[in-house]
Amino acid sequence: MTAPLVVAEAVEMSFAPRGILAGGRPVRAVAGVDATVAKGEALGVVGESGSGKSTLGRLLLGLLAATGGSVRFDGEPLPKPGSAAWRKLRARMGIVFQDPFGSLDARRSIGAQVMDGLTIHTTLNAAEREERTAALFRRVGLDPQRMGAYPHEFSGGQRQRLGIARALATSPDFLVADEPVSALDVSIQAQVVKLLAELRGDLGLAMLFISHDLPVVRHLCDRVIVMYLGRVMEEGPVAQVFARPLHPYTVALLSATPMLDPAKRAQRVILPGEPPSPSNPPSGCVFRTRCLHARPACAEAVPPLRSLDQSGHRVACIRAEEIG
Amino acid sequence: MRRLYLPGLAVLFICLVAAAAPLLPMPDPIRQDVANRLAAWLPGSPLGRDEFGRDVLSRLIWGARSSLMVAFIASAIAAVVGTALGLLGGWFRGVAEFLAIRGADVVLCFPPVLLALLVVTLLGPGTATLILVLSVLYLPGFIRVSFAEVLSARNQDYVEAVRALGAPTMRILLRTVLPNIAGPVLVQFSLAVAAAVVLESGLSFLGLGVVPPTPSWGLMIRGARSTMEQAPMLLVWPCVALTFTILAMNILCDAVRDIADKRGGGGAKRLRLVDRLLPGLFPPPASPAPLLDVQGLTVEIAVPGGVIKPVEDVSFSLSAGRTLAIVGESGSGKSMAATAIMGLLPPAARAADGVARFEGEDLLRMPEAQRRRLRGGAMAMVFQDPMSSLNPVHRIGDQVAEAIRAHRDVTAEAARREAVDLLKRVGIADPERRARAYPHELSGGMRQRVMIAMAIANKPRLLIADEPTTALDVTVQAAILELLAVLRREEGMGVVLITHSLGVVAEVAEDVVVMYAAQVVERGPVAEVFARPLHPYTRALLAAVPDGDAEPEGIPGVVPRPDQWPPGCRFAPRCAHATEACNAAPPALEGQGDRAVRCIRWREIAP
Ligand SMILES: Nc1ncnc2c1ncn2[C@@H]1O[C@H](COP(=O)(O)OP(=O)(O)O)[C@@H](O)[C@H]1O
Ligand code: SF4
Ligand code: SF4
Ligand SMILES: [Mg+2]
Repeated sequence: MTAPLVVAEAVEMSFAPRGILAGGRPVRAVAGVDATVAKGEALGVVGESGSGKSTLGRLLLGLLAATGGSVRFDGEPLPKPGSAAWRKLRARMGIVFQDPFGSLDARRSIGAQVMDGLTIHTTLNAAEREERTAALFRRVGLDPQRMGAYPHEFSGGQRQRLGIARALATSPDFLVADEPVSALDVSIQAQVVKLLAELRGDLGLAMLFISHDLPVVRHLCDRVIVMYLGRVMEEGPVAQVFARPLHPYTVALLSATPMLDPAKRAQRVILPGEPPSPSNPPSGCVFRTRCLHARPACAEAVPPLRSLDQSGHRVACIRAEEIG
Repeated sequence: MRRLYLPGLAVLFICLVAAAAPLLPMPDPIRQDVANRLAAWLPGSPLGRDEFGRDVLSRLIWGARSSLMVAFIASAIAAVVGTALGLLGGWFRGVAEFLAIRGADVVLCFPPVLLALLVVTLLGPGTATLILVLSVLYLPGFIRVSFAEVLSARNQDYVEAVRALGAPTMRILLRTVLPNIAGPVLVQFSLAVAAAVVLESGLSFLGLGVVPPTPSWGLMIRGARSTMEQAPMLLVWPCVALTFTILAMNILCDAVRDIADKRGGGGAKRLRLVDRLLPGLFPPPASPAPLLDVQGLTVEIAVPGGVIKPVEDVSFSLSAGRTLAIVGESGSGKSMAATAIMGLLPPAARAADGVARFEGEDLLRMPEAQRRRLRGGAMAMVFQDPMSSLNPVHRIGDQVAEAIRAHRDVTAEAARREAVDLLKRVGIADPERRARAYPHELSGGMRQRVMIAMAIANKPRLLIADEPTTALDVTVQAAILELLAVLRREEGMGVVLITHSLGVVAEVAEDVVVMYAAQVVERGPVAEVFARPLHPYTRALLAAVPDGDAEPEGIPGVVPRPDQWPPGCRFAPRCAHATEACNAAPPALEGQGDRAVRCIRWREIAP
């Protein structure tokens, strides 16, 4: 494996309840996660909504200041959000959002928005910026002639291409893509996933790819982490995690994914109940209130992520050997 | 844009006249001429003279000048300072928020006249004092509006995006946030100007504003009051001027806001279906016909450039106890077809052609009253976004009970009990307690279950579900699809499932209709269609699914818009098999056993 680019150790994010009257407990959106993204690697993050995927992405980018643990980028701890060093670092990281409509400013031309990174971080003159932006447009499959147009003239897929171009303007090393294709039709999804895969290859980008669509992650990523209620349940190379899931939650997630040939997927496991509130998680294994294999011992201690073999496939379940 | 012209011209006229006052050939507004006191008309004084013999028209125009100047300057100061405070308070929160918002609250506590009295006593009356008072009075409005707008804007992805690019805070505030809150601030500005004109007149009237002899509308009204009986018109003119100015300004504000707020009109808006499931009971006629038989359904919408057909010649049929899926990309007409069948088309659209027989009776030609009895009773619909179909201010238990009582004669108590049973039936844990919850207190999956509970409340024989699980997690989706399957098995309900997920189709449907650009391009049993797709579009869709080991392949381009359909085969611009002949004429839907396909080359290219 190549050198790690982003390393998070026991990173934590608690959101304090807002206002004096709100009372209640803080929401632990991310509760002690270790994650590493190597240079040029694509790490997938899967899990249900509310499991802390987006929060983890923003922690790794340093857009949120962690309330616990640490994140290092290229060997250095992330600077404080808003500081000069932090702002300079923005040029080396990019983010692509889920909502193709909300993530572009409806009132500015798309060219100006894609160019923002260059305007902020480079000393290029207007003509040079223009030229670089045109090249970016071509790179993501859009017509540079349309740089003066406004976002509403574009379809969802084209807007996602614009979002990608904007994130790539400063040639970053690390890209967080937060559900970039979830809002698109499957025909368009495949186009955008293909573009991301190509860019990753051409530019040697390291990528954190957040998705709740497991098959997309399997095609695009090298490794995947499975999150539930702010914690990592399972982690490993995509081929192994998807072919031989070890954690009961991953099993349920995979079995719930609709397949073109339902005979090919495992017997469907329907999870009982709903995810508990992240402000009041169950003791011990956080998944135990919905786990079909739960035992009294599962409530005692938080199961550590552990390897069952040498492949880097790790699971946080005390019964993984018995049920796997 | 046309809405701007009239009020815009009126305001422009007023401002120009006021600005040009010194240049107009008019008598001096403060020159007294006691001999002509209260004259109704004099040469050069079309509106007569006031109690000191000063020219009324001239005073009106000079009065407009001082009123508008005070109002504009005061509002501008309040707008700049207030917006800046609101921006900083909303962006930095903490101390800045406290100072801005509490400061605004303090100002709001003072009755305006009291504040004016206080300041006038301290500084003496006059135009400058008036501007100061008015700008302080309108400050809180701007602080609050911009604060609230910044709070909502700062959570938007496009703001997060520029932050993630490392833009300096000032740049974010000025280049990204400010333009996006400009609409509401502009509206607030126009409201403030209009209100300031009124208040200026009021304060001047009370002797707290503009000092005589400077002309001002408030002072004119004040002066005219004492001579009201001899010269009532003296009171009328400034009042007319005031009313006209304020009306023109308010209408202009409205128009400006609407235009300022037009954030991109291109995206297709989801239909807002006010007409909710209105339940009714209908005795099931024992008919051998299919449950739902749709033939040649065509929907037309009149648009400025002509008539578009978002649904064209769509046919399919569904038997009781079966599930038929309609698939296709967004914009292919799936939802429009379903709403046409349910009689829930938006006002601009109409079912122009075809029949949709439900148990033998044509839904399209049926009187609305009869269709309403069916809707929510014998046939029901579930939408993608449950939040837009649930009433946010009513408890969900009451909403389900209402669905029951709307057409069945049961007591409120019985309906409530039945509602709890239904909630339990759709898999809501602790239904007694949940029945008392409001929609926003539930998760997306729970709300979708509530929608289904309402839809099945009167045991429908046909359920149309439009993307019921698209917004949900796969785990929740699996549970909802399972629920629909159980209901279908146990109640013998026929289900039309609209989705763009082919995986979902494979999991739950027996038959599938593939739609592209308003037309059915392929139709048949799911197992056969997926195993041996005949139409290039179906094949392309299947190839785009990231399933199995093959690399998913996207389909180049997008669905064309209804006013830009290609002349021949509508899929031709994106089709890998297109030839000259494909563009020549629209292909017909060819039947082939229980399958059908709309492609002239399907025989050559079929695998
Ligand atoms: N700014 C915030 N303030 C308070 N709670 C938050 C905030 N952002 C996220 N959360 C909470 O943190 C949890 C994880 O959220 P998120 O990271 O968005 O999950 P995911 O991306 O997996 O859907 C959720 O319970 C969410 O409500
Ligand atoms: S630790 Fe226990 S509760 Fe948690 S996943 Fe494993 S078996 Fe289930
Ligand atoms: S008719 Fe021609 S363009 Fe249309 S789907 Fe068939 S092969 Fe493609
Ligand atoms: Mg998220």
